[in-house]
Amino acid sequence: MRELAARIAQRLMDLPEGSAVALRMGADQYFDTIRGILDVYCPKKELEALYVTSTIPSRSIINALDVLEIPLERIWFVDCISQIMMSSAEKHAHSIYVESPTMLENIMLKVEYLIRKTQSRGAVIIVDSINSLAIHNNTKILSEFLHIMVNNLRSKKASTLIFSMEQYENEDIRNMMNLVCDETITVEAESSG
Amino acid sequence: MPSRERDASEVRVDRCVTGIEGLDNILDGGIPRGNTVLITGSVGTGKTSLCLEFLVHGALYGENSLYISVTESTDKLLKNIIPYDFFEDKLVKEGQLHFLDLPVIYDRLGLDRPEFDYEEINILVDAVVNLVGEMRIRRLVLDSITSVTYRLKSEEILREFVLKLGSRLSTLGCTTLIVSEISPTGERYSTYGVEEAISDGIVVMGNLERRGDLLRTLQVVKMRGTMHSRAKYVLDLTTTGVLLVPLLKGGSVAAGGA
Repeated sequence: MRELAARIAQRLMDLPEGSAVALRMGADQYFDTIRGILDVYCPKKELEALYVTSTIPSRSIINALDVLEIPLERIWFVDCISQIMMSSAEKHAHSIYVESPTMLENIMLKVEYLIRKTQSRGAVIIVDSINSLAIHNNTKILSEFLHIMVNNLRSKKASTLIFSMEQYENEDIRNMMNLVCDETITVEAESSG
Repeated sequence: MPSRERDASEVRVDRCVTGIEGLDNILDGGIPRGNTVLITGSVGTGKTSLCLEFLVHGALYGENSLYISVTESTDKLLKNIIPYDFFEDKLVKEGQLHFLDLPVIYDRLGLDRPEFDYEEINILVDAVVNLVGEMRIRRLVLDSITSVTYRLKSEEILREFVLKLGSRLSTLGCTTLIVSEISPTGERYSTYGVEEAISDGIVVMGNLERRGDLLRTLQVVKMRGTMHSRAKYVLDLTTTGVLLVPLLKGGSVAAGGA
């Protein structure tokens, strides 16, 4: 697991700042990818991680990070799913909430807010995931959202990493990712040999 | 005017930088100094927050700033103010940021009648202009004109009030924001349609419902003396100030389109 995380981090280390990267993965590589970004890449580059989640509530990711012993100090969440689930879970100090994944402008606003709050010490924005956002939004508005957000972040020299789960991809999503991303990294499972 | 000459003249415009990054970008650098701008919208759209931030930034830039509250007492207002990260108590203590209740001014001037005539309007305008002059105010917010209009007997008196106030404050180099309350379904930008016609700029703040989501929006409809975007933006009121991003269109075309 650590080897795959290290490999992912190494690929990201080589990218110029302000890059937009599609990270294609299977469900089995999901936590390795998160570990590679949050536990290896961000600390090495001294980046704040702004994690936009529309897949699972931030609280669940925070619990997983706790198990993986990944410190939370420089990780901040824009949680777009907890409120729509009407979850009564306690709010976390490192999470801010968007009412619904359909409020794409508010996602951009919360990311901007976090960039300001963290004094722009250098940030990477993780979008988890394009597939879950596509459940709630049509392709046109989603493409527009990504296009505006990625270019805005690029102007601030912040990189964007967009997760895409291979088994939920379709032609529209692939085209959209090709349009807005500079590079696609396919996360391959570790070989047993 | 040839574009090069026009560009050169625009560069020379003295700007009142609002300090709200998104709004300054929309306005090509800020409000032309001395403009009277109508900030209009229905309740809960962020008009007062926007205006307060404009004043706080002004005070931080060393420009004396004055907020005149018509309905809400300033004590109550200050209790509910967003705890801005950039706010400093010393701005109030050291006299760069001032708050005044208009009813207090009415009392001092002996304006106790429920309706004002031309003479009383002149007294009120003189009082505000004198205050601005004496305190060297560079930024003024009047929140709201709607409450003042209840005391004005006719549209002519209202026109006189806004026109005189705006022109005299402009002469003093004071940039003024006048808040106007409208109903969510209103077709005009102000109660009588007079204020919008004689102000130099109009910023419309609204609530946009899209598939059950309610978004706060801002649109600069008019601003004399500068080029500006006329697109609609979505805003958020945060402790770092008002943040703005473009409203997503979702590939929409004219009505009936995809």
